[in-house]
Amino acid sequence: MATAPSDYVFQDEFTADSTYETGEAVSLWKDAWRRLTSNYFALFGLAVIVLLLLVAIVSQFWTPYPTWKQGIGPTYGGPSAAHPFGLDQVGRDILSRLMGGAAIALAVGLGTALLSSIIGIALGLLAGFYRGWVDTVISLLINVWYGIPDLLVVMLFVVIINSRELKWIIVAISITAWLNMARLVRGQTLALREREFVEAARSIGTRDVGLLTRHILPNALGPIIVQATYLIPAAILFEAFLSFLGLGAPPPEPSWGAMCAEGYKSLQLAAHVTLVPAFALAITLIALNAFGDGLRDALDPRMRR
Amino acid sequence: MAPLLQVEDLKTYFHLRDGVVKAVDGITFHVDKGETVGIVGESGSGKSITSLSIMRLVPEPGRIVHGRILFGADGQPKDVVKMTDEEIRDFRGSDVSMIFQDPMTSLNPVLKVGFQVREAMSAHDRFSDEQSKARVVPLLKKVRIPGAADRTKAYPHQFSGGMRQRVMIAMGLSNEPSLLIADEPTTALDVTVQAQILELLRDLNREMGTAIILITHNLAVVASLCTRVVVMYAGRIVEEGYTRDIFKNPQHPYTWSLLRSMPRLDAARHSKLLTISGLPPDMSNPPPGCKFHPRCRFRVDRCLEEEPPLGEVGPNQYARCWVLMQNALVTQPEKAAAAEVPIPPLSAEPAQIDQRPDPDRPGAVKA
Amino acid sequence: MTLEASPEVESRVVDKQLALVSVEDVTKHFPIGAGLLGGGSAVRAVDGVSFEVRAGETLGLVGESGCGKSTLGRVIAQLHPATSGKVIFQGQDLVPMRGEKLRRMRQELQMIFQDPYASLNPRMTVGEIIGEPLKNFGLARGKERSNRVHEVMRTCGLNPNFLNRYPHEFSGGQRQRIGIARALVLNPTFIVADEPISALDVSIQAQIVNLMEDLQNRFKLTYLFIAHDLSVVRHLSDRVAVMYLGKIMEIADSHSIYENPLHPYTKALLSSIPIPDPDLEAKRQPILLQGEIPSPVNPPSGCRFHTRCPIAQFPICSEQVPPLESKVDGHLAACHFAGQL
Ligand SMILES: Nc1ncnc2c1ncn2[C@@H]1O[C@H](COP(=O)(O)OP(=O)(O)OP(=O)(O)O)[C@@H](O)[C@H]1O
Ligand SMILES: Nc1ncnc2c1ncn2[C@@H]1O[C@H](COP(=O)(O)OP(=O)(O)OP(=O)(O)O)[C@@H](O)[C@H]1O
Ligand code: SF4
Ligand code: SF4
Ligand SMILES: [Mg+2]
Ligand SMILES: [Mg+2]
Repeated sequence: MATAPSDYVFQDEFTADSTYETGEAVSLWKDAWRRLTSNYFALFGLAVIVLLLLVAIVSQFWTPYPTWKQGIGPTYGGPSAAHPFGLDQVGRDILSRLMGGAAIALAVGLGTALLSSIIGIALGLLAGFYRGWVDTVISLLINVWYGIPDLLVVMLFVVIINSRELKWIIVAISITAWLNMARLVRGQTLALREREFVEAARSIGTRDVGLLTRHILPNALGPIIVQATYLIPAAILFEAFLSFLGLGAPPPEPSWGAMCAEGYKSLQLAAHVTLVPAFALAITLIALNAFGDGLRDALDPRMRR
Repeated sequence: MAPLLQVEDLKTYFHLRDGVVKAVDGITFHVDKGETVGIVGESGSGKSITSLSIMRLVPEPGRIVHGRILFGADGQPKDVVKMTDEEIRDFRGSDVSMIFQDPMTSLNPVLKVGFQVREAMSAHDRFSDEQSKARVVPLLKKVRIPGAADRTKAYPHQFSGGMRQRVMIAMGLSNEPSLLIADEPTTALDVTVQAQILELLRDLNREMGTAIILITHNLAVVASLCTRVVVMYAGRIVEEGYTRDIFKNPQHPYTWSLLRSMPRLDAARHSKLLTISGLPPDMSNPPPGCKFHPRCRFRVDRCLEEEPPLGEVGPNQYARCWVLMQNALVTQPEKAAAAEVPIPPLSAEPAQIDQRPDPDRPGAVKA
Repeated sequence: MTLEASPEVESRVVDKQLALVSVEDVTKHFPIGAGLLGGGSAVRAVDGVSFEVRAGETLGLVGESGCGKSTLGRVIAQLHPATSGKVIFQGQDLVPMRGEKLRRMRQELQMIFQDPYASLNPRMTVGEIIGEPLKNFGLARGKERSNRVHEVMRTCGLNPNFLNRYPHEFSGGQRQRIGIARALVLNPTFIVADEPISALDVSIQAQIVNLMEDLQNRFKLTYLFIAHDLSVVRHLSDRVAVMYLGKIMEIADSHSIYENPLHPYTKALLSSIPIPDPDLEAKRQPILLQGEIPSPVNPPSGCRFHTRCPIAQFPICSEQVPPLESKVDGHLAACHFAGQL
């Protein structure tokens, strides 16, 4: 990568031959990608996530059997060629429901990550950038919110909205999940706003919106992405937990949590009804966390070599 | 008399994933007993790696791959490269000690200053514990810490930058080494403090006879302290000689240009500084031939292919160049003249030197 | 039309008697350790400073680390609000200006930063960086904007082909050129340059010094050039102000300062600087100051320099603040015994 041959020539000034000049190569993102792809655990996570995504998409158009249809075969039927993961307590095909559950899990995970990131980023940016009373109010809100149990918030929300539609579940989880993101972004913003390039941007007449969107946010993106990838498994787990308690997506939605809850009563009789969705949940969480860890290491400048 | 330190064809390389960085690539120089030698060069030229090699403190993944570092003027010099771990521990700090650019990172922030100076001695067995203890205050006095006796109980953060650097020097001198390596000891300090530290080093050299290797990118600092200079460029020595000869009669185009590219305090405002075009070389992909050729205004065809040897160009002066300034001034006078910046004499005719506003400036209001 | 031939540049006056910027009794205090009860002290980084920068000149501002040079530069460039005082630029006081009015003002008044690594956004390309000021003021769009960016890049010795590269792909000197291009693209009148070369390699410094001089001539710029390197300041400046612990100690035209310093601090400072010439070095007699700069949290009473001054006389120096006043025609110094060292 040759750097600029200076075509700024002073009167009778000699200009250097620039053939051998080089700048630093690889950019941060390229470098991060290289480190991510040399981390096998993270790659495994990525592979599982891609698989999950494919399954979720396919399930919207095709599943071996309808996810809600009961009495397809014998209740508590064990795995067979026709039903590789067996049948549940009302004779639904577990594989089909597992596929449908993948879509729900991803919708909840991604939806919550997106929504709570937006809330957290917006509040964090405002608090860190304007400081003063804006920061005082937002920080107070965050601290008070921390003190209130998430479950209570969600239960109240579900009761008030009086709906258990998936989109409301996502909203409910999001309003409990933005706190860490807001804290992270606030801290990043506080540090970045003192950086010289932000000061330089101010000196060339950049408005606050520009400072936030062009200078501060892009430079905080690394940690934000990492934090967001951790939000996904947390939300999936929380939704499963809610469904397990009967507060999640309403039946017959094939939520993995609900599937576990339904099979739980007959664990002795037919363990596969519980174990299959539990296993899917576990693998998904491990994969997402592995990917998040890999991403964190890859984006950490201290890990640069 | 054998020199105190003789570095012979030293090569220190860094083996990285995408290639080898030849940070120090075959350098040879010596330091006599009680001498002050300056090593100058710009950032990345290998000055610090040279000194770290002498201390056998080269950071990973760097390695001394070739050469000898002979130390000892008593007829039986030892090769530092071959020393055992035991020997090297003894060598560091007692025969040779080193002070660094940033005195804060080299001092332990949670230990008292006096204790740290004593530690530096008790790590070696030149002085007994009693003696070590007794030496602390005199040492701090010697480096001119005001109120030395009371300040032994202070912590490093209670000292200013200049005082911390003095403490480092006190620790460096505590075992009466015969060689002190100072790597940019004043770069982080202010000019008035720099002047104090340079004065201190000069006095210590005079009083205690400690030889000093001063590493810096500031030629003026070298002029002020050193009797001999080694100029490094891209891991090589490009010129070496007595300070006076190098400054008055530089033979390598790099040295020559560098001396003309610096604004000088003793020259009033003049038209233009000489610029050295281009950039310092990328050490993982250095140019073939003479390493300076992409930036050299006097280069000839040969420079592009063949690297010149470090040849004797005068009594005790060596330069690595096919052309040499003494020839360039004759054969390429127009280039030399174009680069030559007149230094108006100081205080000659004040009114003439400072005739501002410059009437030739575009847009200048004519008086 | 090139930037150089623009009517703004054409109409710009170079008159080194005429004040372009007047700084009047400016202070900047950074509060520290303010407790619940509002107590706590302050770093008095700039503590009552007055001077003017004249149209078309370079005013050098020198002093040791921590004496408040950068803070003063930032206060003048309106990056820090002044605690008190006035900064009058083109007839208007900038200090009380806020919001859109201040933003508009910035077109005329730009800053070049010390650290070419920290002052460029690593996530923006060079083209975006240099084009941003134009975007902010809606000065040029599309093709026109990119033409302007190309022109300024060429003017600053950058190859316009590198428009789409990121800052980390450039060397320190080139990054500093990017910073200069960013300041220049708005065609400002006045530029505050905060140690623009001290982070660069020795062999690169002269390139930037020459570029800045050249730009000044072509665009009739006025510079406040901050540095701790007195040699560079001598090379560049018409006049020089010497700062110590938040106050101006001496201010005069460059020649008088260097040939005939009146303030003992200036004298000591000048005598401390090594000269790259072994013969002159052997003759140089540095005036070694004792100790180091006191803390700006509670600066010494009376003359701030009295704790280190070789000719201080007590009690006058520790009790009475010497005013910054004209000693010999236009040569201002703040010392009771100016010229006696
Ligand atoms: N840990 C390392 N890994 C890889 N390369 C290194 C390492 N340390 C130094 N180098 C390389 O060795 C070369 C010489 O470095 P050195 O620190 O000796 O330079 P220097 O002359 O002391 O410069 P400076 O004035 O910046 O201190 C540099 O080009 C650098 O790239
Ligand atoms: N944001 C801040 N908050 C508190 N104190 C500050 C702040 N900025 C600067 N200071 C203090 O103000 C004083 C002056 O600092 P300033 O950066 O202006 O010095 P300077 O002359 O530019 O020094 P240098 O040569 O090191 O750049 C210093 O004591 C510094 O610690
Ligand atoms: S050998 Fe050639 S290129 Fe190298 S310094 Fe001498 S003249 Fe210049
Ligand atoms: S006023 Fe007194 S202390 Fe201050 S500089 Fe002058 S002589 Fe020194
Ligand atoms: Mg070094
Ligand atoms: Mg500064």
